[in-house]
Amino acid sequence: MKKRAQSLGRLILAQDWLAVLLAAILLGTGLSFIYSASWRGEEMGIVGSWFRRQIWWAALGTVLATALAAVDYRFWIRTAWWLYLAALGLLALVLVVGTKVYGAYRWLNVFGVLVQPSEFAKVALVVLLARVLGGGALAPRSFGTLAVGLLLMALPFLLILVEPDLGTAMVLVPTTAIMLFAAGAAFRHLAGLALLGVGGIGLALSPLGHFLLSDYQHERILTFLDPSRDPLGSGWNALQSAIAVGSGGFWGKGFLNGSQNVLGFLPRTVSPTDFIFPVLAEEKGFIGASALLLVFAFLLTRYLRTAWTAGDPAGSLLATGIAGLLFCHVFVNVGMTIGLLPITGLPLPFVSSGGSFMVSTLAGFGLVQSVHVRRMRREV
Amino acid sequence: MARARPVPDVHVWRLLLTWLVMLACFGGLTFRLWNLQVAQGTEYQRRLAKQSLRSVRLPGIRGRIFDRRGVPLADNRPSYCVSLFLEEFRQAGPSQRTVDRVMEALYRLAETMDRPLPLGPQDVRLHLGRRTPLPLVAWRDLDATAVARFQEHAAEFPGAALTVEPVRVYPQGNSACHLLGYVGRADETKLPGAGDDPDEKFHYYLPEMAGKSGVEKRLDGVLRAFEGGKLQIQVDVAGFKFDEVSRREPQPGSDVTLALDARIQRAAEDALAGQRGAVVVVDPRTGDVLALASQPGYDPNDFVPSVPAAIWDALRNDPARPLYNRASGGEYAPGSTFKPITLLAALQTGAVAADTRYSCPGYFQLGSARFRCWQHWGHGSIDLQSAIRYSCNVYLFHAALAAGPEAVQALARACGFGRETGISLDFERPGLVPDNAWKRRERRDSWRDGDTCNLSIGQGALLVTPLQMALYAAALANGGTLWKPRLAARIVSAAGVTNEIPAERAPAGPRWDARHIATVRAGMRDAVNELDGSGKRAKLDGVVVAAKTGTAEYGVKGSGRKMTWMIAFAPYEEPRYAVALLVEDGVSGGTTAAPRVKQLLTRTFNEVEGRGLPPVPAPDAPPPVPDAAAPEEEPA
Repeated sequence: MKKRAQSLGRLILAQDWLAVLLAAILLGTGLSFIYSASWRGEEMGIVGSWFRRQIWWAALGTVLATALAAVDYRFWIRTAWWLYLAALGLLALVLVVGTKVYGAYRWLNVFGVLVQPSEFAKVALVVLLARVLGGGALAPRSFGTLAVGLLLMALPFLLILVEPDLGTAMVLVPTTAIMLFAAGAAFRHLAGLALLGVGGIGLALSPLGHFLLSDYQHERILTFLDPSRDPLGSGWNALQSAIAVGSGGFWGKGFLNGSQNVLGFLPRTVSPTDFIFPVLAEEKGFIGASALLLVFAFLLTRYLRTAWTAGDPAGSLLATGIAGLLFCHVFVNVGMTIGLLPITGLPLPFVSSGGSFMVSTLAGFGLVQSVHVRRMRREV
Repeated sequence: MARARPVPDVHVWRLLLTWLVMLACFGGLTFRLWNLQVAQGTEYQRRLAKQSLRSVRLPGIRGRIFDRRGVPLADNRPSYCVSLFLEEFRQAGPSQRTVDRVMEALYRLAETMDRPLPLGPQDVRLHLGRRTPLPLVAWRDLDATAVARFQEHAAEFPGAALTVEPVRVYPQGNSACHLLGYVGRADETKLPGAGDDPDEKFHYYLPEMAGKSGVEKRLDGVLRAFEGGKLQIQVDVAGFKFDEVSRREPQPGSDVTLALDARIQRAAEDALAGQRGAVVVVDPRTGDVLALASQPGYDPNDFVPSVPAAIWDALRNDPARPLYNRASGGEYAPGSTFKPITLLAALQTGAVAADTRYSCPGYFQLGSARFRCWQHWGHGSIDLQSAIRYSCNVYLFHAALAAGPEAVQALARACGFGRETGISLDFERPGLVPDNAWKRRERRDSWRDGDTCNLSIGQGALLVTPLQMALYAAALANGGTLWKPRLAARIVSAAGVTNEIPAERAPAGPRWDARHIATVRAGMRDAVNELDGSGKRAKLDGVVVAAKTGTAEYGVKGSGRKMTWMIAFAPYEEPRYAVALLVEDGVSGGTTAAPRVKQLLTRTFNEVEGRGLPPVPAPDAPPPVPDAAAPEEEPA
């Protein structure tokens, strides 16, 4: 009895409470600005209650994160293949019986709740890569390891790409690359791949591509990759978002006071989800926006610190992979809202409204906590 | 990293590098934020006030509808509108301030153009909430004066612009209204390709005009256009175009050419001359629907973009039911126009031959019941061809009883009765060919000889549509080919791809012996061209017409209400036109329908083929329906 109490006590004390605090700040910020972005629309009866729904999803995610933190992550590492196969099955299922929203089949209707299997697949891929790359069976520097990693990534990547969900699919690539790098893949292999991938797609899609391609060509490539994309919609969103962020100034216009947001020039359907960052940047200015980035940077630091102190290579890679997902989402989301990257439709972790995404983000957080609890005791 | 790692597999420096790269990327984001918000912040705030993003609609042009010679039946005309780009009106603070500013501009615009205020604050608020990116169209269909006044003062109204949108017009007015149908704004909650997603209403397009009835509805998928749009950044007050940001091209609809001939259609409508009725003209060689008229009608131009309540109520409450398409949706007893089927069935079974003679004393005794011929004193002993010429009922009773009802019913079905023809129009009715099973089901009684007698002369429960009658007349004309009615002949896409729609036979047509059909056709020729024929009032000088009249009693027995018919084809030897004409509550087929068919055919031959037939004066309107109290025997 005493022993059990002791182990429970250690479980609680060994948590990364700083990371918990950072995540709580992000969740609170998210809820505030979801409220700011949706209260007008709700009052006019145009949108449902994003705010209330978000509270429920955050609560569900927190329960899941707590459970995952308590369970030894090595259990998930052992069952990684099953998780991965289940994820592939769900991704295939969504193409057959998925619910169509905005012209894309991304959602499964589970008793009236729309669930995105691609969110589960992201986490499942990271867990499996942690097992395969950290299991010691493969020589980390060999080209074979690299090929296996890329192959494992390619299956969910293609299934998500045909939904179509370009944004989520694209996140898998750098996340896998980060994990391969952390696992010790040879520089020349990674560099070669990076040259191939970034050189081709990156040049065409990034603003650098504007030197080579006209806006229309640029748009056409994106529309080709993602047929549900609407040039007028994304063009409008991109410009209004830049105006919202820019007009926020240093101090911002004040909470609930952003004219872009309140008057609906940032369309009310996307402002609580993919475009929550401009809402914050308009109302809280440079101070608020950079503070938010700072919190994300701190959280990433905690994740990577957990990766450093992890008890085994698989745990380390797991934390690195989750950190990679978090980083990609934040970078691409903020980048697109401030005109650095094309509009691809990725939400901002912990902050944006969205059920499946909130749950997967918090599940990743729980997995990192589980690694952290079972860390090596080590002095710096 | 002062000490040696106990676990060598964790590459510390790789983690460190990853961390540094991530921090560097965030640093880049922060740098960009600084640039946007602090360095260029005032510039963006100025932009918010001065510059705006206009989402300009590029309207899609709906496909046009032509008659077979290219005469436009449905076209588009430009409508000049004044639209407000709400982005240029926005005010900081509560949205009410923006609404007030828009309303103020609307008041001033209304005064300048001398037009009533079209929208209230509630409309502006709704637009602001629901589809901010779209321009708010305040005035539609402005005349030249109002447009000129607006242009003169345009500089005083930043954020307002003259826009053009296409409006559907029907140049022929109410001609062919039932066939063409009309368009209206598609249901706002259901956008093209939107499914049932409620969020779709935020998108950047308004619903297109959609066909609400007739060809406009049935061929909507072909005719429908899709709106495009472009985003452009405006800089100065005069609306100088600065930069186009993105663009979606509109997709125009395809043009449809109908098999219809507008001249014959007009002649058909004139032939009805204000009577309630229907005319269908079919080309017996192809099944082309050359005219499909139902009277009274309406002007489809009244329905665009939406029908005013007063007009709608008047149309709905009119006892003559002008919205109802009698030609394909009206079910009527065919009367004697059905007789060729009975006789062909009898010839086919061999129960009767062309030279079989029956004697007509003016009535037919069936048990205790007496079925009358319309000629009280009888036709004497006549053969089959004469039975058609005189439209003798008694001959038909004998023939039908000899052949049996099943043969008559089977041939009626083979001629397309009792089922829809499959024409591309809504609310088509199948009609009814009564048989034993039907009578057991509906009347709880078995089929009797009396029913056979009624069926043989197109009375009883038998119901047909004027369209079915025209296709049947075409089959009589061409010797037995039953066509599927061909309404659309050609579809030409905006890119110029032409799709010809081939003539198509109906699934099951009649099979007639050439000698039998020749006898029946000769009887129909005699009915018009002999001085004592029942359809002599349809005789033309110069073209041989063959026809069969019909007068079907309906309603309460003895009420004297009659549907008057004529089916006809011409020229007799090489028929190019098959006609079915119906007038509700006429006097008789011979006196009401025949002269109207004559008028229609005369105009058709003169106007379409350039023949110089003597013009026919418009026939007299039949007298008002007699009271039920004064029953009167009439020719059948």
